[in-house]
Amino acid sequence: MGLLVEHIYKSFGQFQAVKDLSMEVKEGALFGLLGSNGAGKTTTMRMVLDIFRPDSGQITWNGKAIHDLERRELGYLPEERGLYPKMTVEEQLMFLAQLNGLSKSAAKKELNEWLDRFQINANRKKKIEDLSKGNQQKVQFLATILHNPSILIMDEPFSGLDPVNAIVLKDAFLEMHRRGKTIIFSTHQLDQVEEMCEDITIINKGEVIVQGNVQEVRRQHGRNTVRLKLDNDAEASWLDALEGVQVTKRRQDYIEMQIRNDFNPDVILEEALRHAGHVSRFELVEPSLTDIFIERVGKIALPDAPATIA
Amino acid sequence: MSNTTEVPPSSTGSSLSDQSVLAVRSGGDTRSNTLHNVGLILRREYKNRVTQRSYIISTIVMMISIFLGSCVPTAIEFFTTHTNTPSQVAVVNNAGSVAGLDGDPLLHYISNSLNGTTTPPDQTKSQKNSTSHFTLQASAPDDQAKLQNEVKTGKISVLLVLTRTNTQDVKFTYYTALTSSSYDDSDLTQIQTMAGQLSVLDRSSRLGLSAVQTQQLFAATNFQVVHTQADQGPSSLAAYLSGYFIGVVGIVLIFTAVYLYGIWIATGVAEEKGTRVMEILVNAATPFQLLWGKILGIGAAGLTQMICLTVVGYIGLLLQKPLEALLSLGNGSSSILNSIDFLHTSTTLLAFLMIYFILGFLLYATLFAALGSLVKRQDEVQNAIGPVSGLFMIGYMASFIGGSTSTTATWFQVMSLIPFWTPTMMLMRIATSNVPAWQLWLSIGLLLIFIVICGWISSRIYRFSILLYGQKPGLRQLIKLMRA
Repeated sequence: MGLLVEHIYKSFGQFQAVKDLSMEVKEGALFGLLGSNGAGKTTTMRMVLDIFRPDSGQITWNGKAIHDLERRELGYLPEERGLYPKMTVEEQLMFLAQLNGLSKSAAKKELNEWLDRFQINANRKKKIEDLSKGNQQKVQFLATILHNPSILIMDEPFSGLDPVNAIVLKDAFLEMHRRGKTIIFSTHQLDQVEEMCEDITIINKGEVIVQGNVQEVRRQHGRNTVRLKLDNDAEASWLDALEGVQVTKRRQDYIEMQIRNDFNPDVILEEALRHAGHVSRFELVEPSLTDIFIERVGKIALPDAPATIA
Repeated sequence: MSNTTEVPPSSTGSSLSDQSVLAVRSGGDTRSNTLHNVGLILRREYKNRVTQRSYIISTIVMMISIFLGSCVPTAIEFFTTHTNTPSQVAVVNNAGSVAGLDGDPLLHYISNSLNGTTTPPDQTKSQKNSTSHFTLQASAPDDQAKLQNEVKTGKISVLLVLTRTNTQDVKFTYYTALTSSSYDDSDLTQIQTMAGQLSVLDRSSRLGLSAVQTQQLFAATNFQVVHTQADQGPSSLAAYLSGYFIGVVGIVLIFTAVYLYGIWIATGVAEEKGTRVMEILVNAATPFQLLWGKILGIGAAGLTQMICLTVVGYIGLLLQKPLEALLSLGNGSSSILNSIDFLHTSTTLLAFLMIYFILGFLLYATLFAALGSLVKRQDEVQNAIGPVSGLFMIGYMASFIGGSTSTTATWFQVMSLIPFWTPTMMLMRIATSNVPAWQLWLSIGLLLIFIVICGWISSRIYRFSILLYGQKPGLRQLIKLMRA
């Protein structure tokens, strides 16, 4: 069952932020919600969190309307990070964990465990404003997960981190996944999505444009890209004469081309041999998510509109 | 800039529709434990506030100044008693017998008249040594030039020369070291009055009237005023003035406290928005809980401060009697503290001060919170709260103006029942007049009703604006949003 979003609409004034958006996130899945800036990701997340209510459509968790769900079942890492700058790490996290429904002793126990894991135990009495940015991010992350929610909604969890802290947070992130949490996150680093996610939804201007299992999405968009490398003919200018082949990149290590759906890639290989080429590389590649994203979103993307409402 | 969340363009952001209001999670959320959450937020706000260094320092400074302030009347009395230097008056009589008096009897008459005593002549000496302001000395006519010089050098304060004019009237000549532009020659006024009386006595004696007859002539008119209405307030002007004084202290205290704590709330809300803590808070608690947790938490911190101050002020007042005794300030009959039942008045007033502080705070706190939630950054708070500050200021100013004239005026009575002005204006009325009980109950009732109404309106504004980072919605949009 998991999380089911069905035909939700949301507008702010005349601005249609989300339009007929549906998606299914299986329980325990790592789910990528992708889109360019202003596509409607944060609005969608806030509707899942029941901070906003959709104008129409419904959101359910295991068949139960999301606004009937216990609040502590949800953890939210907002894109705009923020904590009370004057509070110490410990006070802050205790406050938020208790606000999220944890008892004082339970909050303390979780806090000790996670501060150790994140190696910031030495900072527990420090004020947030005195921490390094990386440590602030860790505390923010803890604020999201300390109350042990079942559904984690994370807006750009890995942005602005140095490589070392990125690994620490990614480990914690995957740990939550291992613990069976359902995680919905957004990111601009699409290689991470390819690495971690099973399912994705790409939205643009509030509408779903690509959806499904990552492998399937790539396959749907794929097998049309061919990479060829000839040791003795770097240019292979004869390719341009082939009907149904469009060379997209001529790089030092290979030539990349798009072929028509009905075009048999074997023809390229035959042609190469006919031109006495020494083939050192020939592959049919599935496009990366980045390619798909740029292809699908880039066509319709507009420059960022000035931000007014969240 | 990567700070864009999912946002509409600014052109459409200004026309917030009804839907965006309905969208935000409502306050009556059953699944969240409202009391638990409000309690948690309240505790955080309270602890955060009272542990701030600025809070502790300002509380201590105010406690010290309130304590010193409560000692001011005693201190003034102490200093006026000790700086009241007696005036040396030399009298040169060239007029012979005046009103049948000459020599020492004349001097005694003048002394008694000026010092307002009726002590027999033989006690005048000791009297002079204690509290009498004027010390008199009779001098020979030959010394006049020398005495004039002594006045100039300040050795004696006043030289009074009595002569007779052609018409046999007594002529008084008054020599003083003060310039003609001095406002403050109270000696002159008193001596002039005395001279007038002496002159009349002298004339009547020359007309052949006996002293008794003259006294009869000047006996006070029997004039009685009957008040057909029950007393509206303090019987004497002194009581009214001291009531006004206490009222002013109370109003300044209420105004400062409500305004200061209101600003704490507005900036607190703006800070949560500015630092984006709000983003995670709204996931954990409803806007209703956040609003009331904040108001009650900061209110409790403010109340703590107020209680500290009033306790110190009260102790200060209680200490005044022992302090006066210690400074041996006589029987203190002239002291403002004893001339009326100061402490009793203060206790009644203190109770109302607390009631109106709490109610006034709650009323304005809801408005300040809503206004604070409309701004993007902390530094915009001052501008945003302007209208409400102005509203509060009207009652503040009016209670000063009304208090200094009459708080029983109809306009003052009517205004004091309007909840936004009740805390200041009604307090002034209580301090300076007897307010009918029904008006007190009505004012408290109206305040409570307005707190509920403003709390409701503010909750609605709060819950859509805490995640709004765009431009401030106009008044018309606010009304539209509230109705939705």
